[in-house]
Amino acid sequence: MQLVYDGQAAAFEVIYDRHADASFSLAYRMCGQRALAEDVVQEALLALWRSGARYDRARGSVRTWVLGIVHNRAIDALRRRTRRDRGLVSDEGIEERLVAPERTDIEVVRSDEAREIRDALEQLPEEQSRVIELAYFGGLTHVEIASMLDAPVGTIKGRMRLGLAKMRMTLGDPSEVVQ
Amino acid sequence: MSANGPPVDPDDCGGNAAPYVLGALTAEEHEAFRRHMESCAVCREEVASLTVVAAALPVSAPQVSAPAELKRRVMSSVRADARAPGSEESPSSSPRAGRVRVRWLPALAATAVAAALIVLAVAAIVPSGGSGRTRVIHAEVLAPNARASLRVNAGHAELTIAHMPQAAPGHVYELWIKRSAGPIPTDALFTIAADGGATVGVPGSVSGVREITVTSEPLGGSSVPTSPAVIVARLS
Repeated sequence: MQLVYDGQAAAFEVIYDRHADASFSLAYRMCGQRALAEDVVQEALLALWRSGARYDRARGSVRTWVLGIVHNRAIDALRRRTRRDRGLVSDEGIEERLVAPERTDIEVVRSDEAREIRDALEQLPEEQSRVIELAYFGGLTHVEIASMLDAPVGTIKGRMRLGLAKMRMTLGDPSEVVQ
Repeated sequence: MSANGPPVDPDDCGGNAAPYVLGALTAEEHEAFRRHMESCAVCREEVASLTVVAAALPVSAPQVSAPAELKRRVMSSVRADARAPGSEESPSSSPRAGRVRVRWLPALAATAVAAALIVLAVAAIVPSGGSGRTRVIHAEVLAPNARASLRVNAGHAELTIAHMPQAAPGHVYELWIKRSAGPIPTDALFTIAADGGATVGVPGSVSGVREITVTSEPLGGSSVPTSPAVIVARLS
Protein backbone atom coordinates (compact mmCIF):
# COMPACT_ATOMS: atom_id res chain seq x y z
CA MET A 1 0.00 0.00 0.00
CA GLN A 2 2.88 2.37 0.71
CA LEU A 3 3.79 2.44 -2.99
CA VAL A 4 0.22 3.46 -3.82
CA TYR A 5 0.52 6.34 -1.38
CA ASP A 6 3.72 7.30 -3.14
CA GLY A 7 1.78 7.61 -6.37
CA GLN A 8 3.13 4.59 -8.18
CA ALA A 9 0.78 3.52 -10.95
CA ALA A 10 2.24 0.02 -11.04
CA ALA A 11 1.50 -0.50 -7.36
CA PHE A 12 -2.02 0.76 -7.88
CA GLU A 13 -2.47 -1.70 -10.70
CA VAL A 14 -1.81 -4.56 -8.29
CA ILE A 15 -4.58 -3.21 -6.06
CA TYR A 16 -6.82 -2.93 -9.11
CA ASP A 17 -6.13 -6.49 -10.24
CA ARG A 18 -6.79 -7.92 -6.81
CA HIS A 19 -9.99 -6.05 -6.06
CA ALA A 20 -11.61 -4.96 -9.33
CA ASP A 21 -13.76 -8.07 -9.75
CA ALA A 22 -15.09 -7.93 -6.18
CA SER A 23 -15.66 -4.19 -6.56
CA PHE A 24 -17.49 -4.61 -9.85
CA SER A 25 -19.55 -7.49 -8.45
CA LEU A 26 -20.68 -5.37 -5.52
CA ALA A 27 -21.45 -2.35 -7.68
CA TYR A 28 -23.30 -4.50 -10.23
CA ARG A 29 -25.33 -6.17 -7.48
CA MET A 30 -26.29 -2.75 -6.16
CA CYS A 31 -26.89 -0.91 -9.42
CA GLY A 32 -28.25 -3.73 -11.58
CA GLN A 33 -26.77 -2.07 -14.67
CA ARG A 34 -23.33 -2.77 -16.06
CA ALA A 35 -22.72 0.78 -17.28
CA LEU A 36 -23.61 2.36 -13.94
CA ALA A 37 -21.61 -0.28 -12.06
CA GLU A 38 -18.56 0.48 -14.22
CA ASP A 39 -18.94 4.21 -13.52
CA VAL A 40 -19.19 3.55 -9.79
CA VAL A 41 -16.07 1.37 -9.69
CA GLN A 42 -14.10 3.78 -11.85
CA GLU A 43 -15.14 6.72 -9.67
CA ALA A 44 -14.33 4.85 -6.44
CA LEU A 45 -10.93 3.55 -7.50
CA LEU A 46 -9.81 6.82 -9.02
CA ALA A 47 -10.93 8.63 -5.87
CA LEU A 48 -8.84 6.18 -3.86
CA TRP A 49 -5.84 6.77 -6.14
CA ARG A 50 -6.17 10.54 -6.30
CA SER A 51 -6.99 11.21 -2.69
CA GLY A 52 -4.17 9.07 -1.37
CA ALA A 53 -6.70 7.84 1.19
CA ARG A 54 -4.97 6.04 3.99
CA TYR A 55 -5.56 2.38 4.63
CA ASP A 56 -5.87 1.62 8.33
CA ARG A 57 -4.91 -2.00 8.94
CA ALA A 58 -6.78 -1.96 12.26
CA ARG A 59 -10.05 -1.46 10.40
CA GLY A 60 -9.92 -4.64 8.36
CA SER A 61 -8.42 -6.04 5.20
CA VAL A 62 -7.52 -3.99 2.14
CA ARG A 63 -10.44 -5.61 0.36
CA THR A 64 -12.85 -4.51 3.09
CA TRP A 65 -11.46 -0.99 2.81
CA VAL A 66 -11.73 -0.87 -1.00
CA LEU A 67 -15.23 -2.38 -1.00
CA GLY A 68 -16.32 0.12 1.62
CA ILE A 69 -15.35 2.94 -0.74
CA VAL A 70 -17.16 1.26 -3.63
CA HIS A 71 -20.24 0.73 -1.46
CA ASN A 72 -20.36 4.39 -0.48
CA ARG A 73 -19.99 5.51 -4.11
CA ALA A 74 -22.71 3.11 -5.22
CA ILE A 75 -25.07 4.46 -2.56
CA ASP A 76 -24.32 8.00 -3.78
CA ALA A 77 -25.04 6.96 -7.35
CA LEU A 78 -28.26 5.18 -6.42
CA ARG A 79 -29.53 8.07 -4.35
CA ARG A 80 -28.67 10.54 -7.11
CA ARG A 81 -30.59 8.39 -9.55
CA THR A 82 -33.50 7.93 -7.16
CA ARG A 83 -33.79 11.69 -6.72
CA ARG A 84 -33.63 12.18 -10.48
CA ASP A 85 -36.18 9.46 -11.18
CA ARG A 86 -38.43 10.18 -8.21
CA GLY A 87 -42.00 9.54 -9.23
CA LEU A 88 -40.93 7.44 -12.18
CA VAL A 89 -39.66 4.34 -10.41
CA SER A 90 -41.99 2.19 -8.35
CA ASP A 91 -40.99 0.47 -5.14
CA GLU A 92 -41.47 -2.81 -6.97
CA GLY A 93 -38.90 -1.59 -9.46
CA ILE A 94 -36.33 -1.15 -6.70
CA GLU A 95 -36.86 -4.68 -5.44
CA GLU A 96 -36.74 -6.02 -8.96
CA ARG A 97 -33.34 -4.38 -9.39
CA LEU A 98 -32.14 -6.18 -6.29
CA VAL A 99 -33.19 -9.64 -7.34
CA ALA A 100 -32.86 -9.50 -11.11
CA PRO A 101 -29.92 -7.55 -12.47
CA GLU A 102 -29.73 -7.48 -16.24
CA ARG A 103 -28.62 -10.73 -17.81
CA THR A 104 -24.95 -11.25 -18.39
CA ASP A 105 -22.83 -13.95 -19.93
CA ILE A 106 -20.02 -13.25 -17.55
CA GLU A 107 -19.50 -16.17 -15.26
CA VAL A 108 -20.84 -16.18 -11.79
CA VAL A 109 -18.05 -17.51 -9.64
CA ARG A 110 -19.32 -18.93 -6.39
CA SER A 111 -16.71 -19.40 -3.75
CA ASP A 112 -17.05 -21.17 -0.44
CA GLU A 113 -16.97 -17.96 1.58
CA ALA A 114 -19.61 -16.39 -0.65
CA ARG A 115 -21.85 -19.37 -0.07
CA GLU A 116 -21.31 -19.17 3.69
CA ILE A 117 -22.30 -15.51 3.82
CA ARG A 118 -25.25 -16.06 1.50
CA ASP A 119 -26.45 -19.01 3.57
CA ALA A 120 -26.26 -16.93 6.75
CA LEU A 121 -28.31 -14.19 5.05
CA GLU A 122 -30.85 -16.64 3.69
CA GLN A 123 -31.31 -18.32 7.07
CA LEU A 124 -32.64 -15.09 8.53
CA PRO A 125 -36.38 -14.50 8.81
CA GLU A 126 -37.50 -12.96 5.54
CA GLU A 127 -38.37 -9.60 7.10
CA GLN A 128 -34.82 -9.29 8.47
CA SER A 129 -32.93 -10.35 5.34
CA ARG A 130 -35.17 -8.07 3.29
CA VAL A 131 -34.34 -4.91 5.22
CA ILE A 132 -30.63 -5.76 5.20
CA GLU A 133 -30.66 -6.28 1.43
CA LEU A 134 -32.71 -3.17 0.78
CA ALA A 135 -30.33 -1.13 2.90
CA TYR A 136 -26.95 -2.56 1.96
CA PHE A 137 -27.47 -3.52 -1.68
CA GLY A 138 -30.40 -1.23 -2.45
CA GLY A 139 -28.85 1.91 -1.00
CA LEU A 140 -32.13 2.84 0.67
CA THR A 141 -32.27 4.73 3.94
CA HIS A 142 -34.09 3.25 6.93
CA VAL A 143 -36.81 5.88 6.46
CA GLU A 144 -37.29 4.92 2.81
CA ILE A 145 -37.46 1.24 3.74
CA ALA A 146 -40.00 1.98 6.49
CA SER A 147 -42.13 3.86 4.01
CA MET A 148 -41.77 1.17 1.39
CA LEU A 149 -42.71 -1.66 3.76
CA ASP A 150 -45.28 0.44 5.61
CA ALA A 151 -43.63 -0.26 8.97
CA PRO A 152 -42.42 2.03 11.77
CA VAL A 153 -38.84 3.25 11.51
CA GLY A 154 -38.02 1.68 14.87
CA THR A 155 -39.21 -1.70 13.61
CA ILE A 156 -36.97 -1.44 10.55
CA LYS A 157 -33.94 -0.55 12.66
CA GLY A 158 -34.73 -3.43 15.01
CA ARG A 159 -34.95 -5.90 12.12
CA MET A 160 -31.61 -4.67 10.78
CA ARG A 161 -29.94 -5.08 14.14
CA LEU A 162 -31.45 -8.49 14.86
CA GLY A 163 -30.55 -9.75 11.40
CA LEU A 164 -26.93 -8.60 11.59
CA ALA A 165 -26.55 -9.97 15.13
CA LYS A 166 -27.90 -13.36 14.04
CA MET A 167 -25.56 -13.42 11.06
CA ARG A 168 -22.66 -12.70 13.35
CA MET A 169 -23.64 -15.63 15.55
CA THR A 170 -24.00 -17.90 12.53
CA LEU A 171 -20.70 -16.88 10.98
CA GLY A 172 -18.63 -16.60 14.13
CA ASP A 173 -16.06 -14.01 13.12
CA PRO A 174 -16.89 -13.14 9.49
CA SER A 175 -13.49 -11.53 9.03
CA GLU A 176 -12.08 -15.05 9.26
CA VAL A 177 -14.49 -16.18 6.57
CA VAL A 178 -13.65 -13.29 4.28
CA GLN A 179 -9.91 -13.32 3.65
CA MET B 1 -32.28 20.22 12.51
CA SER B 2 -29.32 21.90 14.13
CA ALA B 3 -26.40 23.29 12.22
CA ASN B 4 -24.59 20.07 13.06
CA GLY B 5 -27.38 17.83 11.84
CA PRO B 6 -30.15 16.08 13.74
CA PRO B 7 -29.31 15.10 17.32
CA VAL B 8 -29.29 11.44 18.27
CA ASP B 9 -32.39 10.53 20.23
CA PRO B 10 -31.09 9.57 23.72
CA ASP B 11 -33.83 6.94 24.01
CA ASP B 12 -32.61 5.37 20.80
CA CYS B 13 -28.96 5.09 21.80
CA GLY B 14 -27.56 2.17 19.82
CA GLY B 15 -30.61 2.04 17.56
CA ASN B 16 -28.75 3.69 14.73
CA ALA B 17 -25.79 1.30 14.85
CA ALA B 18 -27.28 -1.19 12.39
CA PRO B 19 -28.46 1.37 9.80
CA TYR B 20 -25.09 3.10 10.25
CA VAL B 21 -23.02 0.05 9.31
CA LEU B 22 -25.42 -0.77 6.45
CA GLY B 23 -25.14 2.75 5.04
CA ALA B 24 -28.87 3.31 5.63
CA LEU B 25 -28.64 6.65 7.44
CA THR B 26 -28.94 9.89 5.56
CA ALA B 27 -25.77 11.96 5.29
CA GLU B 28 -26.94 14.19 8.15
CA GLU B 29 -27.90 11.28 10.39
CA HIS B 30 -24.64 9.53 9.58
CA GLU B 31 -22.60 12.53 10.64
CA ALA B 32 -24.67 13.06 13.79
CA PHE B 33 -24.29 9.42 14.79
CA ARG B 34 -20.55 9.50 14.08
CA ARG B 35 -20.22 12.44 16.47
CA HIS B 36 -22.43 10.69 19.02
CA MET B 37 -20.12 7.68 18.99
CA GLU B 38 -17.18 9.81 20.00
CA SER B 39 -18.69 10.03 23.46
CA CYS B 40 -20.73 6.80 23.59
CA ALA B 41 -18.83 3.59 24.27
CA VAL B 42 -22.03 1.51 23.98
CA CYS B 43 -22.64 2.63 20.42
CA ARG B 44 -18.96 2.26 19.50
CA GLU B 45 -19.04 -1.32 20.72
CA GLU B 46 -22.30 -2.05 18.93
CA VAL B 47 -20.96 -0.63 15.68
CA ALA B 48 -17.72 -2.60 15.99
CA SER B 49 -19.71 -5.78 16.51
CA LEU B 50 -22.02 -5.23 13.53
CA THR B 51 -19.38 -3.81 11.18
CA VAL B 52 -17.65 -7.16 10.80
CA VAL B 53 -20.90 -8.63 9.46
CA ALA B 54 -21.66 -5.71 7.16
CA ALA B 55 -18.11 -5.88 5.79
CA ALA B 56 -18.74 -9.49 4.78
CA LEU B 57 -21.93 -8.74 2.85
CA PRO B 58 -20.22 -7.81 -0.47
CA VAL B 59 -18.94 -11.37 -0.70
CA SER B 60 -22.53 -12.61 -0.92
CA ALA B 61 -22.99 -10.78 -4.21
CA PRO B 62 -22.62 -13.02 -7.26
CA GLN B 63 -19.02 -12.59 -8.36
CA VAL B 64 -18.57 -11.39 -11.92
CA SER B 65 -15.46 -10.30 -13.78
CA ALA B 66 -14.87 -6.59 -14.22
CA PRO B 67 -14.81 -5.70 -17.93
CA ALA B 68 -11.35 -5.38 -19.45
CA GLU B 69 -12.37 -2.01 -20.83
CA LEU B 70 -12.88 -0.73 -17.27
CA LYS B 71 -9.30 -1.51 -16.38
CA ARG B 72 -8.12 0.25 -19.51
CA ARG B 73 -10.04 3.37 -18.53
CA VAL B 74 -8.98 3.38 -14.89
CA MET B 75 -5.32 2.64 -15.53
CA SER B 76 -5.20 5.14 -18.37
CA SER B 77 -6.28 7.87 -15.92
CA VAL B 78 -3.90 6.60 -13.25
CA ARG B 79 -0.92 6.56 -15.63
CA ALA B 80 -1.80 10.01 -16.90
CA ASP B 81 -1.86 11.25 -13.31
CA ALA B 82 1.43 9.51 -12.59
CA ARG B 83 3.06 11.13 -15.63
CA ALA B 84 1.83 14.56 -14.63
CA PRO B 85 4.47 17.11 -13.54
CA GLY B 86 5.42 16.67 -9.91
CA SER B 87 4.53 13.00 -9.91
CA GLU B 88 6.96 10.69 -8.12
CA GLU B 89 6.05 7.73 -10.26
CA SER B 90 8.92 5.31 -10.60
CA PRO B 91 9.13 4.07 -14.18
CA SER B 92 11.06 1.01 -13.12
CA SER B 93 8.39 -0.25 -10.75
CA SER B 94 6.54 -3.29 -11.96
CA PRO B 95 3.62 -5.16 -10.45
CA ARG B 96 3.42 -8.86 -9.94
CA ALA B 97 0.28 -10.37 -11.32
CA GLY B 98 -1.74 -12.98 -9.52
CA ARG B 99 -0.87 -15.09 -6.55
CA VAL B 100 2.20 -17.29 -6.69
CA ARG B 101 0.81 -20.59 -5.54
CA VAL B 102 1.74 -23.31 -7.98
CA ARG B 103 3.99 -25.70 -9.77
CA TRP B 104 3.51 -26.19 -13.48
CA LEU B 105 1.25 -28.66 -15.19
CA PRO B 106 2.96 -32.03 -15.51
CA ALA B 107 5.19 -32.16 -18.55
CA LEU B 108 3.34 -35.13 -19.99
CA ALA B 109 0.04 -33.29 -20.07
CA ALA B 110 1.71 -30.26 -21.59
CA THR B 111 3.16 -32.38 -24.37
CA ALA B 112 -0.22 -33.90 -25.12
CA VAL B 113 -1.80 -30.47 -25.23
CA ALA B 114 0.88 -29.15 -27.54
CA ALA B 115 0.22 -32.01 -29.93
CA ALA B 116 -3.48 -31.23 -30.00
CA LEU B 117 -3.18 -27.52 -30.57
CA ILE B 118 -4.31 -26.79 -34.07
CA VAL B 119 -3.42 -23.22 -34.81
CA LEU B 120 0.15 -22.06 -35.10
CA ALA B 121 1.22 -18.97 -33.24
CA VAL B 122 1.97 -16.03 -35.47
CA ALA B 123 3.17 -12.70 -34.19
CA ALA B 124 2.73 -9.40 -35.95
CA ILE B 125 3.39 -5.79 -35.17
CA VAL B 126 0.62 -3.32 -35.88
CA PRO B 127 0.35 0.39 -35.29
CA SER B 128 -1.43 1.27 -32.09
CA GLY B 129 -3.56 4.10 -30.85
CA GLY B 130 -1.90 3.73 -27.44
CA SER B 131 1.64 4.42 -26.37
CA GLY B 132 4.26 2.66 -28.48
CA ARG B 133 3.39 -0.17 -30.83
CA THR B 134 0.97 -2.98 -30.33
CA ARG B 135 2.20 -6.49 -30.86
CA VAL B 136 -0.49 -8.95 -31.85
CA ILE B 137 0.20 -12.59 -31.10
CA HIS B 138 -2.10 -15.19 -32.61
CA ALA B 139 -2.52 -17.89 -30.02
CA GLU B 140 -2.74 -21.62 -30.41
CA VAL B 141 -6.30 -22.75 -29.69
CA LEU B 142 -7.45 -26.26 -28.99
CA ALA B 143 -11.10 -25.88 -30.02
CA PRO B 144 -11.81 -26.25 -33.73
CA ASN B 145 -12.71 -22.97 -35.46
CA ALA B 146 -11.97 -20.94 -32.33
CA ARG B 147 -9.48 -18.08 -32.51
CA ALA B 148 -7.58 -16.10 -29.93
CA SER B 149 -5.13 -13.26 -30.17
CA LEU B 150 -3.11 -11.42 -27.57
CA ARG B 151 -2.57 -7.69 -28.00
CA VAL B 152 0.47 -6.44 -26.12
CA ASN B 153 1.07 -2.75 -25.68
CA ALA B 154 3.27 -0.90 -23.22
CA GLY B 155 3.84 -4.01 -21.12
CA HIS B 156 0.17 -4.87 -20.82
CA ALA B 157 -1.83 -7.46 -22.67
CA GLU B 158 -5.38 -8.36 -23.51
CA LEU B 159 -6.61 -11.67 -24.84
CA THR B 160 -9.42 -11.58 -27.39
CA ILE B 161 -11.23 -14.81 -28.09
CA ALA B 162 -13.75 -15.67 -30.81
CA HIS B 163 -15.90 -18.70 -31.69
CA MET B 164 -14.91 -20.40 -28.45
CA PRO B 165 -17.17 -22.99 -26.80
CA GLN B 166 -18.33 -22.36 -23.26
CA ALA B 167 -16.51 -24.11 -20.43
CA ALA B 168 -18.16 -27.29 -19.16
CA PRO B 169 -20.99 -26.84 -16.65
CA GLY B 170 -19.58 -25.94 -13.24
CA HIS B 171 -16.37 -24.67 -14.79
CA VAL B 172 -14.85 -21.36 -15.81
CA TYR B 173 -11.84 -20.49 -17.90
CA GLU B 174 -8.80 -19.37 -15.94
CA LEU B 175 -5.88 -17.39 -17.30
CA TRP B 176 -2.31 -18.25 -16.30
CA ILE B 177 0.99 -16.53 -16.92
CA LYS B 178 4.32 -18.28 -17.21
CA ARG B 179 7.68 -16.63 -16.77
CA SER B 180 10.81 -18.73 -16.27
CA ALA B 181 9.17 -21.27 -13.96
CA GLY B 182 5.72 -22.81 -13.92
CA PRO B 183 2.38 -21.15 -14.58
CA ILE B 184 1.16 -18.55 -12.13
CA PRO B 185 -2.59 -18.33 -11.60
CA THR B 186 -4.25 -14.97 -12.06
CA ASP B 187 -7.54 -13.61 -10.83
CA ALA B 188 -8.81 -13.57 -14.41
CA LEU B 189 -11.66 -16.09 -14.42
CA PHE B 190 -14.11 -15.80 -17.27
CA THR B 191 -16.73 -17.42 -19.42
CA ILE B 192 -17.63 -17.00 -23.04
CA ALA B 193 -20.41 -14.72 -24.22
CA ALA B 194 -23.34 -16.05 -26.21
CA ASP B 195 -21.60 -15.06 -29.47
CA GLY B 196 -18.55 -17.16 -28.58
CA GLY B 197 -16.41 -14.15 -27.77
CA ALA B 198 -14.55 -12.88 -24.72
CA THR B 199 -12.03 -10.17 -23.98
CA VAL B 200 -9.81 -10.69 -20.97
CA GLY B 201 -7.24 -8.28 -19.59
CA VAL B 202 -4.07 -9.97 -18.40
CA PRO B 203 -3.53 -8.81 -14.81
CA GLY B 204 -0.32 -6.89 -14.21
CA SER B 205 2.63 -6.37 -16.50
CA VAL B 206 3.61 -9.02 -19.04
CA SER B 207 7.24 -7.98 -18.81
CA GLY B 208 9.25 -11.20 -18.65
CA VAL B 209 6.20 -13.35 -19.35
CA ARG B 210 6.96 -16.12 -21.82
CA GLU B 211 3.56 -17.68 -22.17
CA ILE B 212 -0.07 -17.02 -21.38
CA THR B 213 -2.40 -19.96 -21.18
CA VAL B 214 -6.06 -20.63 -20.51
CA THR B 215 -7.44 -23.75 -18.88
CA SER B 216 -10.90 -24.86 -17.83
CA GLU B 217 -11.17 -24.96 -14.05
CA PRO B 218 -13.89 -25.55 -11.44
CA LEU B 219 -15.88 -22.46 -10.40
CA GLY B 220 -13.75 -20.21 -8.25
CA GLY B 221 -10.59 -21.12 -10.14
CA SER B 222 -7.66 -23.33 -9.20
CA SER B 223 -4.21 -22.73 -7.80
CA VAL B 224 -2.73 -25.31 -10.16
CA PRO B 225 -4.04 -26.20 -13.61
CA THR B 226 -6.35 -29.20 -13.42
CA SER B 227 -6.83 -29.60 -17.16
CA PRO B 228 -4.79 -29.16 -20.34
CA ALA B 229 -4.45 -25.66 -21.75
CA VAL B 230 -7.07 -24.77 -24.32
CA ILE B 231 -5.31 -21.57 -25.39
CA VAL B 232 -1.59 -20.89 -25.47
CA ALA B 233 -0.10 -17.54 -26.44
CA ARG B 234 3.69 -17.49 -26.64
CA LEU B 235 5.29 -14.13 -26.09
CA SER B 236 8.87 -15.31 -26.64
